[in-house]
Amino acid sequence: MPMTLTQLVVMALLQIVLLLAFVMMLVPLITFAERKVIAYVQVRLGATRTAGGLWGAQAGRTHKSRTLTGGLNGLMWYLGRVPMLSIFRGLPVFIADAVKLLTKEDIVPEGADKAVFILSPAISVISAFTVFSAVAFAPGALFTFPAWFPIVGGLPFNAFLTDINVGLLFILGISSVGVYGIVLGAWASNSKYPLLGGLRSAAQIISYEVPLTLSLLVPVILTGSLNFNEMARRTATEVHWLAIPLLFVGFFIYTTCAFAETNRVPFDLAEAETELVSGFHTEYTGMKFSFYFLAEYANMILVSALAAGFFLGGHYLLPFGFQTFLMKAGETAWFNQPSILFFLGKVLFLLFVFIWVRATLPRYRYDQLMHVGWKYLIPYTLVLIFVAALIRYIA
Amino acid sequence: MEALLASIAKNIFVIFGLLAVGGATAMVASRSAVHSVLAFLFAMLNIAGCFLALGAEFLGMAQILVYAGGIVVLFLFVVMLVEMAKGKETNKAVFTAQAKVAAPVVVAGAFAFLAVFKDTVFGASAAQALTLKPGLAEGLDVARNNAQAVSRGLFADYLLPFEVLSVILLVALVGAVVLAKTERV
Repeated sequence: MPMTLTQLVVMALLQIVLLLAFVMMLVPLITFAERKVIAYVQVRLGATRTAGGLWGAQAGRTHKSRTLTGGLNGLMWYLGRVPMLSIFRGLPVFIADAVKLLTKEDIVPEGADKAVFILSPAISVISAFTVFSAVAFAPGALFTFPAWFPIVGGLPFNAFLTDINVGLLFILGISSVGVYGIVLGAWASNSKYPLLGGLRSAAQIISYEVPLTLSLLVPVILTGSLNFNEMARRTATEVHWLAIPLLFVGFFIYTTCAFAETNRVPFDLAEAETELVSGFHTEYTGMKFSFYFLAEYANMILVSALAAGFFLGGHYLLPFGFQTFLMKAGETAWFNQPSILFFLGKVLFLLFVFIWVRATLPRYRYDQLMHVGWKYLIPYTLVLIFVAALIRYIA
Repeated sequence: MEALLASIAKNIFVIFGLLAVGGATAMVASRSAVHSVLAFLFAMLNIAGCFLALGAEFLGMAQILVYAGGIVVLFLFVVMLVEMAKGKETNKAVFTAQAKVAAPVVVAGAFAFLAVFKDTVFGASAAQALTLKPGLAEGLDVARNNAQAVSRGLFADYLLPFEVLSVILLVALVGAVVLAKTERV
């Protein structure tokens, strides 16, 4: 159905609001999950024991008073004993995190370049959110608006904002602009540790952008498209069986680069606390700091979405092109239908992997990081591209 | 509102173009080198917008990916370190002696450009896409398969010029290595 301009604008605005709300909701949940998972892996007590009421966090069982706070405390503590409800322990830490981020004083250091200092977190967060406009969470419509709905009644609500035919290039291009937020923020702080952290971070991101982009060329060559929907569908359901091991290896290379791109452990040299205080955002406080924070986690969601879309079978059930075999069972079977749930499941699993790795691996040294990037990952991805082209030639 | 949006969509190339020129002007006029780089970045992004407005989305995205994402970052790298070493020079005049020579040259250049490309920009054929060899895009819906159309030109018909260009880049690389080496010995 052709849409009028008003319908187009209203629909786009609704989609943007939903998308922003989704990412903004997911980010604090990831930070909470991060605390919990790391606490379980490393036997940290805070996030697995703290229960609390509205008036602050206290260790649960020690405060058995008859006041309201004590009662809530006890309730959360006992709820936390049920395995599925263990989120109740550590919940006060989560709330305290959010309150702390929102209420901290906003400081612009003296001698800082004020305009650039304010602009850089905005660059980071804008580029991190803009890229989601080319990510397709499901290939088709999520639901159709009922006819009584004003302006957009009867129209399908797509699970993607745009379906542009250079979607992957758009994602890579806009997310590469995000590095300016880090470099300029570091420079504008007019302080030594942030500058060192920013330089490190920029060098790291630019270096790892090469193997990251090259490893994404494998699905591009296999599918012959740059459109997110098309690539996700064809890598999942239409690849030659020889391409399955290729996608498998490509996934691991891509994920390694993605860890470096998002400045996550084990490649978080940009904010190595033991060396650089906390890297490029040392001088940032309050809302500006939380912008950087938001951008970092939004980037994590993005790279997870790309890995899920192009290597783990996208909107389909099975990863690495195994779905091709299932497709012989007929397109109508439930496991052959694309679904947003399959996609989100994969994204959430990858986000868990991010946290899992953070809890497990120690940080690399800087020379080791560059060594891995330039001497191993780039040659490997070049070999992968060669093999992909060969498979494309045969099949 | 709809009329306004429609007219914006129609003139979006002009809007991006003006923004790009504004960014370039700010780059020249800015007193801080880092601000110059920022303005340059802004101009680059707007040029990508111009490409998009012309329907060359592959070129637009490549512009962002290569220039904004790669080259300008390296500029910024160098400029940041130079500024740190030099300290701040606040009251240095921007347009000095060279301006007397540069301004007429720029104006003359602009007029020469307009004189040569007058018909291309404002003439009757300005609305049509400029293709060197229409036969190359045969069988391709250029509006939908932008990347394929570009790659067909690059890797099929203009392969030799393309490879010669990459050799020129290689020469620059080797030159940089030689310069870096001789200083150390």
